[in-house]
Amino acid sequence: MTTKRMLLAAALAAATSLTSPAVAQSVLRLDEVAVGELDPAKASDYADSILMFNIYDTLVLPRQGGPGHDPHLATAWEVDGSSYTFTLRDDVTFQSGNPLRAADVVYSLERMQAMGQGLSYLFSGVTAEAMDEHSVRFTLEEPYAPFVASLVRLPIVDQMLVEENATGDDPWAEAFLSANGAGTGAYTVSSHNPQSETVMAVNDGYFLPINDAAPDQVRLRYGLEAATVRTLLAQGEHDIASQWLPPEVIRALAADGAQLLTESGTGAFYVKLNTTRPPLDDVNCRRALGHAFDYGTAMQMIAITDEISQGSPATGAIPVGMFGANGPEMALSRDMAAAETAMAACPYAPEDWNLEITWIAEVPIEERFALLMQANFAELGISSSIETLPWALFTERVSTPENTPHISQIFVNAVTGDPDTLLYGMYHSSVPGTWQSPEYLDDAAVDAALEAGRVGATDAERAAAYGQLNARLMELAPTIYGFDRQSVFAASDRVRAPALSDPDMAFGLDGMGFSFRLMEMVE
Amino acid sequence: MIRSLRIIAANPLSLTGLILVLLVVLAAALAPWIAPFPTHNGAIVDFAYANQAPNARNWMGTDLVGRDIFSRILYAYQISLLLGVVVLAIATPIGTVVGLLAGYLGGWAEAVLMRIVDIFLSIPPLVLAIAVMGVLEPTLTNAMIAVTAMWWPWYARLVYSIARSEREEGYVLAAEVIGAPTAHIAFREILPNCLPAIITKMTLDMGFVIIIASSLSFLGLGVQPPTPDLGSMVAEGARYLPDSWWLTVFPGLAILLAVFGFNLLGDGLRDVLGVDE
Amino acid sequence: MLPVLRILLRRLGISAVVLVGVSMLIFAIARVIPGDPARIALGPSASAEQVTALRAEMHLDEPLVAQYGHFVSDVLRGDLGQSLYTNRPVTRDIAEFLPATLELVIFAGILMVALGLPLGILAARHRGRWPDHLIRVLTLLTVSAPSFVWAVILMLLFAFYLPLFPVAGRISDIYEIERVTGFLTVDTLLAGNFAAFADALHHLVLPAVALALSGIGQAARLTRANMVETYQKPYIEMAQAYGFFPSRIARSYAFKPSLIPSLTIIGLDFAAMLGNAFLVEAVFAWPGLSRYGVNVILRKDLNAIMGTVLIIALTFLIVNIIVDLLIAFLNPRIRHSTRAAS
Repeated sequence: MTTKRMLLAAALAAATSLTSPAVAQSVLRLDEVAVGELDPAKASDYADSILMFNIYDTLVLPRQGGPGHDPHLATAWEVDGSSYTFTLRDDVTFQSGNPLRAADVVYSLERMQAMGQGLSYLFSGVTAEAMDEHSVRFTLEEPYAPFVASLVRLPIVDQMLVEENATGDDPWAEAFLSANGAGTGAYTVSSHNPQSETVMAVNDGYFLPINDAAPDQVRLRYGLEAATVRTLLAQGEHDIASQWLPPEVIRALAADGAQLLTESGTGAFYVKLNTTRPPLDDVNCRRALGHAFDYGTAMQMIAITDEISQGSPATGAIPVGMFGANGPEMALSRDMAAAETAMAACPYAPEDWNLEITWIAEVPIEERFALLMQANFAELGISSSIETLPWALFTERVSTPENTPHISQIFVNAVTGDPDTLLYGMYHSSVPGTWQSPEYLDDAAVDAALEAGRVGATDAERAAAYGQLNARLMELAPTIYGFDRQSVFAASDRVRAPALSDPDMAFGLDGMGFSFRLMEMVE
Repeated sequence: MIRSLRIIAANPLSLTGLILVLLVVLAAALAPWIAPFPTHNGAIVDFAYANQAPNARNWMGTDLVGRDIFSRILYAYQISLLLGVVVLAIATPIGTVVGLLAGYLGGWAEAVLMRIVDIFLSIPPLVLAIAVMGVLEPTLTNAMIAVTAMWWPWYARLVYSIARSEREEGYVLAAEVIGAPTAHIAFREILPNCLPAIITKMTLDMGFVIIIASSLSFLGLGVQPPTPDLGSMVAEGARYLPDSWWLTVFPGLAILLAVFGFNLLGDGLRDVLGVDE
Repeated sequence: MLPVLRILLRRLGISAVVLVGVSMLIFAIARVIPGDPARIALGPSASAEQVTALRAEMHLDEPLVAQYGHFVSDVLRGDLGQSLYTNRPVTRDIAEFLPATLELVIFAGILMVALGLPLGILAARHRGRWPDHLIRVLTLLTVSAPSFVWAVILMLLFAFYLPLFPVAGRISDIYEIERVTGFLTVDTLLAGNFAAFADALHHLVLPAVALALSGIGQAARLTRANMVETYQKPYIEMAQAYGFFPSRIARSYAFKPSLIPSLTIIGLDFAAMLGNAFLVEAVFAWPGLSRYGVNVILRKDLNAIMGTVLIIALTFLIVNIIVDLLIAFLNPRIRHSTRAAS
């Protein structure tokens, strides 16, 4: 009886404190695909990246509006061969109040490597050592030109806090970090439900000044249906929609007055051909598909308004603007005459092909590309079937060449913004079968160019290497280069996001534009 | 038979049901001839006409790749009816045999068989089908397997309850006394008494199988594209509400119409055959 | 022994047997999943050694019987393993998502009883006349569409065209309600926040109606059938002959005997609703267990699939026991009998 009453009293007290009229808080609401992974060592997809970039900080940040990187948690760095020494800021504290130390950087790297998940592969062969309280040295086993770029994927965690929450069964405190933040970031985690929502609040103790207009609270919602987002946005109950909305829905929102935010330049839509299975083990058969694909209709399908589209025409294997890419004037287009010629040189009879065209269940527009290809290839007399694969099943099937479908459709981004992280994982013969490499390409010239791109001392050398790679990849046709990807986000006029609307403020790194501290709420 | 038909025809509701069922069956059977765009059941795209609201050319509008929705609904009925017939044709005999054996033999057969039935019945039907589909590749055949797996126990239970009460009836006891073989008693004496209930349930169940199958494909666990399917049409269209309402509303109404028809007809049959709910 | 207690014990015994069977069934389903769960768990970039190690850790390299043994002993310890989809213990996911589903299903169940029974009684009292025919057509109509079609239609009409109800979610963002039971309608009241309670109810209406519609139809039809049967019993005819008011006959004599068979079916319909919640939750972005179930199935997340189905089966068994007990209480023959359970 008494306990009950006390509980009730406590609940009432809690409720009053929670609902008491606070100063008008500005709230930013956005959505992404479930699940939101909070543990920075497991972060890999877009939702995870948004969380990571706001709750954690990295030593460097991509430079806004141009190539290169600026110091962030670091003040400067020195390169000596394969060793990189970073000096840290001395005025940074974690959200827990602990100061940032070089040991935290070392711990963050070791935690990521030991867990071996997310993007930890970027740091294989890297060791770190704390030189003193505020300087840390990384040593690379092999030279890797874009190492500094890869540091945007090394979020720094609070060693002391994490170790306090580690247990014998859970030495890296994965349980704690999958539900709590332990970073220095501009936003703290208020609550986290990986399937429905993460609520974040601005971190008043952030080491950089934060614009007053930046949102006080951010609600990142997961797994909303397109129709739901459409209505919530129209009714003023949502602010930024995810990029995965189908173009029709974004178009309808734009017609209702939504602004369109964009992020581009780091990725492309690739139609991947399994080069180990007949008939696609023959280069002419692959070329026939590349010529028969209707690039023009694909562009129509992803167009949103006259000016804005979810992509721009592909010019080759490398998105326009990256090292080694062709200029925008070299847009690929459908060429049925060339397709017929290639088909004549292809040793397999088209009616026996039985191509498996797959699409990823979570990305509805891919179904339309599957139907488009089926119709395009039928014009060459090619038989095919369409199969839907949920993402998890797809990644499992591509682990062996025999199980990998003939045709897979993938959106790939350079996770660090550097072409190496886009292309090496896709085309180098040493890489085991992953979702990025369902081509199973094995070509010495491609390998050589990829390696040259990794170690190239200057940008010019690297650009030359990637130029050769691009030419070779066009010749081999392991992939139909669909279009260069541009992410489009429909947003209400309550929010201004310069990093997603002004090219001079863009980061050139997927998800970084969602640094909430750089956004402004307009009331 | 003719008498039954006459009774059904005399009731306006049952008659409506009969007409609806006939319409749906005819639409499915004649789809290749009456569909305005008979090629639209397959791999075809026509982006020039994509996402059109209902108009004179496309009475129910077009989908996102330009296919005629009316034509696809006609073809989707083929799949739904095929699935319903196959599932019932497999599930009914299995369930009937299990129910008869359990109900007539009693003893350990009853205990074992009915506990197995209980196990199946204690997982919500759709959850069971979803779990089975989750394991199998999504194809028409596997959808049939999944729905059959959840369907037979209901027939087992229905037949069991009738058989158990018939077990004590005089005619069964009489057959036992003269030494008729067990199989003869179960299938020749008891089974005919279960038939009216089974037939009524099958008619009503045609509708429910269509519902369950469309639910599976609504969740992406059914027939795969480009084959038209009512459930996946609704699921896909639901992303484009409220702007492109025709993508969901017409396939949804198509399900409603077909199932309503079977339910009205089954309801009428129940009265004719004198079966309790 | 009290007969009701005996029924309870008997039901519990049967339920235990059924639960063991369900666990075997679920285990069997989970083990025929094509593909390697360890590979799926680790994701595309894992090495062959990591996969082998995880296979050993998940006991995938042992014989099936041993695997089942591990599964059962883990379950009994309350350990359903780690979800590959949320990277959290499955028990924690279930504890988080189950209340949302139960809240929805219970609310729909209340609607089913509150609307279904009166409609059935009304139809029975006016059997053969126009209210009976109207109710018959309406109830047949409600059972004639899958709940996702009702969900879409209701959403289109009452959230889009006439924006009376919210399109998604359980409660508006502005309310921060401390989680006690996970049932928002309860937690808001515990917090004494009536505006939030009203908001949570407001969010419940459309999904619950979509989920309840076919159940309402079923309940009404059954109640009508049972009432009609009861009306033909001699004691009712006697009452009619005495000139009792029809409403008194319906209330005092016909309703209770008719309720008993209806209750059994309502228990079954509750099961159907747990399944149909999969569809309604998908449409209304309801963060419940069913939506979680669909997501883990699409991702072949073994532990989570087994955990979800097990919990749903358990919930269903509990509901059935409650229904059986209710019937035992209502039925004087069972209540007073000493050999009812035999």
